Amino acid sequence: MIKISDLEKVYRTEEVETVALNKLSFEVKDGEFVAVMGPSGCGKSTLLNILGLLDDPDAGSFLFNQIEVAHFNERKRADLRKHNIGFVFQSFNLIDELTVFENVELPLIYTGVKTAERKKRVEEVLDKVQIMHRRNHYPQQLSGGQQQRVAVARAVVNHPKLILADEPTGNLDSNNGNEVMQLLTELNEQGTTIVMVTHSEHDARYSHRIIRMLDGQTVTENILI
Amino acid sequence: MFKNYLTIAWRNLKRNKIYAFINIAGLSIGLACAMLILLYVKDEVSFDRFHNNVGNIYRIVSKNKYNGQEYKSTNTGFLQGSRFTQNVPGIKTFVRVQSGAEDIKTGTDVQSQDLLYVDSSFFNVFTFPLIAGNPQTCLKEPRSIVISEDMAKKQFGTTDAVGKVIMIKEDSAFQPYKVTAVARRSPQNSSIRFEALLPFKESADDARNNDNWYNFFLNTFVVLQPSANLNTVNTEIQKFYVRDAGQTFKEMTEKYGGGGTMGEYFLQPYIDIHMNPELGAQNGMVNGSNPTYAYILSGIALFVLLIACINFINLTVARSVKRAKEIGIRKVVGGERKQLILQFLGESFLLCTISFLMAIWLVILVLPLFNNLANKALAISYLLDAKLVGGYIILYLLTGILAGFYPALVLSGYKPVDTLYSRFNIKGKNYLQKSLVVLQFTLASFLIIATFTIYTQFNYLTTEDLGYDDSNLVILHKDRLKHTDAALFKNELLKNSNILGVSAKNGGQWGTAARNAIDTTIQFAYETVDEHYIPLLKIPLLQGRNFSKDFPADSTQSVIVNESFVKKAGWKTPIGQTVNFWYNNNETYTVIGVVKDYHFASLNQKIGPQLFTMKNDNMYGDYYVKIKPGSATASLKWLRSKFKEFYPLSPYTYKFKDDDNKRAYDDVAKWKQIMLFSAFLTIFISCIGLFGLSVLSAEKRTKEIGIRKVLGASVNNVAAILSKDFLKLVAIALIVAVPAAYMAGDKWLQNYPYRITQSWWLFAGAALLVIMIALITVSFQAIKAAMANPVKSLRTE
Repeated sequence: MIKISDLEKVYRTEEVETVALNKLSFEVKDGEFVAVMGPSGCGKSTLLNILGLLDDPDAGSFLFNQIEVAHFNERKRADLRKHNIGFVFQSFNLIDELTVFENVELPLIYTGVKTAERKKRVEEVLDKVQIMHRRNHYPQQLSGGQQQRVAVARAVVNHPKLILADEPTGNLDSNNGNEVMQLLTELNEQGTTIVMVTHSEHDARYSHRIIRMLDGQTVTENILI
Repeated sequence: MFKNYLTIAWRNLKRNKIYAFINIAGLSIGLACAMLILLYVKDEVSFDRFHNNVGNIYRIVSKNKYNGQEYKSTNTGFLQGSRFTQNVPGIKTFVRVQSGAEDIKTGTDVQSQDLLYVDSSFFNVFTFPLIAGNPQTCLKEPRSIVISEDMAKKQFGTTDAVGKVIMIKEDSAFQPYKVTAVARRSPQNSSIRFEALLPFKESADDARNNDNWYNFFLNTFVVLQPSANLNTVNTEIQKFYVRDAGQTFKEMTEKYGGGGTMGEYFLQPYIDIHMNPELGAQNGMVNGSNPTYAYILSGIALFVLLIACINFINLTVARSVKRAKEIGIRKVVGGERKQLILQFLGESFLLCTISFLMAIWLVILVLPLFNNLANKALAISYLLDAKLVGGYIILYLLTGILAGFYPALVLSGYKPVDTLYSRFNIKGKNYLQKSLVVLQFTLASFLIIATFTIYTQFNYLTTEDLGYDDSNLVILHKDRLKHTDAALFKNELLKNSNILGVSAKNGGQWGTAARNAIDTTIQFAYETVDEHYIPLLKIPLLQGRNFSKDFPADSTQSVIVNESFVKKAGWKTPIGQTVNFWYNNNETYTVIGVVKDYHFASLNQKIGPQLFTMKNDNMYGDYYVKIKPGSATASLKWLRSKFKEFYPLSPYTYKFKDDDNKRAYDDVAKWKQIMLFSAFLTIFISCIGLFGLSVLSAEKRTKEIGIRKVLGASVNNVAAILSKDFLKLVAIALIVAVPAAYMAGDKWLQNYPYRITQSWWLFAGAALLVIMIALITVSFQAIKAAMANPVKSLRTE
């Protein structure tokens, strides 16, 4: 599904140049669950943003389903993104002004799904993450764990092939964290590819493979299964 | 998708009430101003267009050169209309219109009624619908009268008045005039508005006398054949005029002298009259307008709307820090930029719609006030005009786009990577926001300074020493008053101890010309007075003496002049000099006294030469009565009873001289109010915008404030830091506004021969006011932010 080779990304401000990715290469196969680990500032989030087509690399190649996407323009990237990729963030990133239902519905609106179909699918997925009873609440009215379950629901409502999770349990206590990891595992078992950035060895153990990064490069890969 | 946009827009509004208030208040005021101006402009351009064949109606006007300077005139004599119509092909018919007043008796009460004298073709030329009567014949009989429905109701209590009789004074007796038609009330957007029409009086002698080419006193309108060519008609008119009046002109020039030429006649389209300041509505035509007013009013309305739009743009962009996360999320889940632009445009249109509805309400609310200021009689029903509604919709769309497009473009351009990791902040120095704030405050300061200038000038005009005493001076009007009759009435009035003095003077302002001994022609204000006038008004006598009954020659031979007259005549020793009325059989008068120049006209005019006479055959028209201060009620009662006793057939009208003097500045007073309102609105909208920005800025800098306080900054310290940036912008605005306002003020003041100088304190005062207002606006929020507990702000980071 994903093949990156010699990926480079450098951040420049007026005085400082920070190398985020330094000739990074690896591959993720269909249906895999990969965890990316490493200390703060090693380039994990940059990697995830590039994989999610939110950011583009300065150099190198990025094949998504055998198609070179490294230099796609904004519109093409948005198009690819909305049909194929779901995101889960550490800070949930729900829209405060929308209810649970409306937040989950949003990706379906952008892919042009009809109202009746939207309702059905949103309810289905809310059921699955067990938050249906809170469908008309606003994000601020939910606990962190509940918010992250809504975020997961939103990420999967469009049936993406790939889910990118950026420290999904970082803001949660261990109970809620485990629940979210359980959810991701189930999704993976149903065939969704998952790439997850994490600091937590515990969470990483849910994955098939751990990629460890330092200074923008992979240092080791541990295969868990 | 649309529902989703609307939902989030609505919830955003509800959640951010200050922001919503600022935008809606500003935009609705701005839109209301623009709507009123559209209404005004629409009324202006629709003026007089209701006449059926308005495209073929013209007024005969002329231009002439006198001593190298061009003069235009709207007035004609008796002959122009009839002679041109008879002799120039293409002219179908003509009508002459002259304003006047007649004394009308109802019961025992005598009132002066303003009316128009018109030819019987009046209703063929103009479209004024009649309620009753025949438009073709109603003005044919000499003693017939056409009245308006209002006058019919006033006189007879009904509009069913045809055949009834109105008593009108002719010489010294009242004669019956038959009502032959009742007309609907004249439309408010008509230059000709009448309560009563009387048939024009022209004797056969008048029609024959070629001198009447040069007796200008009425408006003449002609109707052209639809096929006629205006240029051809103009050429033919002039040709005929030169042929027909050439001999008369020669004779007149030989008799009266003067450096004029025969002049040139041409036709002015009727619809051009209303907004033509040079050849405008006068002599029975009313409500003439100046397009400058429309420009200034439109300019102000656009200022206000622009300032409101700037608020919207600035606040939306400044607030986008808060909304950046939402934008990022929408992009992550598949939102395209195009969709986000539509979403933000949709939000601005939602605000704009609410403001638009508020604006309609505001317009209805302030229409009476606006009518008063703009000298209009616009009704709410006018708002339902199709063109106007179209204009409003365009205005609404333009505002929505103007306010919404830039923020939509900026906000939709944010990169999700930047916005989702809470490291987002608006980059750069924000030059656009700053320049927009500067622009707002420049406009607001400009209007405030302009208001100060107008106020100061108005104050000067109304309080400046006139050079005589106009207090407690009542003027009673009495037409055609002989000197001997006046003496009897004066003596009678003085029997009451409240009456301190009485004098008589000619009515209105007269002007004429005469020559000095070396043939310099002097044009002057010509005053016929009695011997009490100069002392009664406390006009200082500089040389010679006042008129006196002790010198019989004073009633025939003596004149008193003012300083300007002396200067113009070039006299070193004025007393004993002679003034020659050369056109009046070379009558010669001797100067017996010189008065100090005083403002006998308003301060809108420079004091010119003035000459007083007691000449017996000039009639008086006004009594000047000095009453004891504080005795107004009793004195007026006394004056009225005596007037009724002496002149039962004349209408009693009185006015106070000082009120009458102030009326000359009504125009300035009106502009003073308009400027005050617009200055208030612009500074108000600018300030609520500034307030919004200061709130957002304080929120953005919460962490900085927290750190500063932890490190020991005081509340004053922090408040100063937060206010400083905004005050800098206001200061820049003042630097731009002061010279602009100075130049504009200077140009405006040039219209006044007597004017204030724009001194430094005027600008300093306005600047101080603007800074104070801005300071209060920003420091309110700055102090609040500075007093917040730093622990709280740092922990949430």
